[in-house]
Amino acid sequence: MVIALAVAGLFVGKYPLSLEKLLSGDAMQWRVFLTLRLSRTVVGVIGGFALGVAGFVYQTVFRNPLASPDIIGVSSGASAGAAAGILFLSGSMAVTASAFAGALLAVVFALALSGLDKSGKNSTIVLAGIAVHSLAQTALMCLKLTADPERELASIEYWIMGSLNGISVYSIGGNMILCLVCMAVLFLLHRQVILLSAEEGEARMLGVNVGGLRLAVLLVATLVTASVVSLTGLISFVGLLAPHGARLLAKHNRISTMLLSGLLGGILLCGADILARSVAATELPVSIFTSFLGAPFLIYLIAGGREKV
Amino acid sequence: MTFFSANGITAGYGRQNVIENISFQLAEGCLMGIIGANGSGKTTLLKALCGILPHRGSCTLDSVVLERLSSRKIAAAVSYIPQRSGISIDISALDVVLMGFNPQLGLLEYPTQKMKQAAAAALAQVGLAGKEEMNYLQLSEGQKQLCVLARTLVSDSKLLLLDEPESALDFRFRYQMLKLLRQWASKPGRSAIVTLHDPALALNYCDQLLLLSDGGILGIIEPKTDPLDKMEHMLSQIYGCVSLRRCINRGGQPCLVMVKEEEQ
Repeated sequence: MVIALAVAGLFVGKYPLSLEKLLSGDAMQWRVFLTLRLSRTVVGVIGGFALGVAGFVYQTVFRNPLASPDIIGVSSGASAGAAAGILFLSGSMAVTASAFAGALLAVVFALALSGLDKSGKNSTIVLAGIAVHSLAQTALMCLKLTADPERELASIEYWIMGSLNGISVYSIGGNMILCLVCMAVLFLLHRQVILLSAEEGEARMLGVNVGGLRLAVLLVATLVTASVVSLTGLISFVGLLAPHGARLLAKHNRISTMLLSGLLGGILLCGADILARSVAATELPVSIFTSFLGAPFLIYLIAGGREKV
Repeated sequence: MTFFSANGITAGYGRQNVIENISFQLAEGCLMGIIGANGSGKTTLLKALCGILPHRGSCTLDSVVLERLSSRKIAAAVSYIPQRSGISIDISALDVVLMGFNPQLGLLEYPTQKMKQAAAAALAQVGLAGKEEMNYLQLSEGQKQLCVLARTLVSDSKLLLLDEPESALDFRFRYQMLKLLRQWASKPGRSAIVTLHDPALALNYCDQLLLLSDGGILGIIEPKTDPLDKMEHMLSQIYGCVSLRRCINRGGQPCLVMVKEEEQ
């Protein structure tokens, strides 16, 4: 299904592409294909996958089904960073870099704050995240106030709404590589991630270095999120929904569930992106469709699960 | 020969000490029961012994001071079962048992086929054969306890610390669990400490009983050899007025029965 959507994603868009013309070597077709569609689809699949996996890790580590990568302020950090980038820098690359820096700053700050409390409880990390989240929101508001309402404010708002538009083959390389490397780490550590879901003392007596490992896993999961969000802007719901969908389908927490969570994320984001660029004459924010597709899907899963019991 | 000893353990939460200056010794192959009223510090003591809770004093296991070991090494030597396992995600019973192998595995290693077989065998041993793929969260509380016990049995530890492992089990499984613990502890190079609420179990399955009251040791009794009136006197300080009788079961084995008397 991911592959089908990815293929569809390659060919849907304002500029009509067709396989015959591509094969016949139409130069314009190839340029659109390589620089716009391909990169966009890659980000859609990998990004959705990444958000799904990161969401799975967060929900497991925090033992909270409502946790998502946003919880420790990564998204708001990215937004503030992007806003600063739009205001003071120029070029989409600079905005991406600045969003990434903002996200990273927020996360490092949140984890450092949580380190002040030596007891190292999960709730401390969440609280620190909420504090950082509000700080970043405040910074964002200040930046918005200083923005030129005609152009800059609009592009800040548009960035925050999230879109895969404007992603070109030149800007995605670094982010996607980082994202893939971090995800590989998460998959390698997956057994430890599951162990972290046990109660703290229990996990420690199972030989888990709870504090250090949790920090490392969260940092890596957040890096994954940051590398995606800084490219696309905020994408709601994927990180929350994909793991739930995967668990409801798989009924277990295993490496395969994590994989499924990623695949669902990829499907959701890719599908949403296709709709975002084809439904209306203008590009729509992709978040509208991730929520629009995601919410009914979640309801369906919940209802379906109930019937079986 | 002392296998495990606790020396002057003091621990608590925040500034409040729950247990103070607890010292005792345990021989190899022994099963020690800890009994005491609610809030007497049983759980706190267990948590301090395995180092989850910061404490003063020291514990020595097999001539090694536990406080000097890294938490990973402690985990390899000591297993601890909390009253309720904190597992709160959907996970199969077999995967829960496989967690017990973690101290033996490197960070990126995965359980081998042999470990999976051992885990399935442990599940069968505690009476959960055929439940390997069941969702842990959908097991009954008693089955969860048995499952976590299986996780402990597969680990290669020297000391087992169990916090009320029998609390959610029915009559039959309580005895089965204590029997399993006895078997496990009687192998060379092992000991177990278990907090119990049921004095009948404690008196008949444990080699030694540590009586806790208000965070201190009331006394230690050895049910097999101590005179009845001494044990009656000490148990009455915890449970109110009680009587003890020795009787013989059908197999000809002596066992102890405790009866609650009317308070005068």
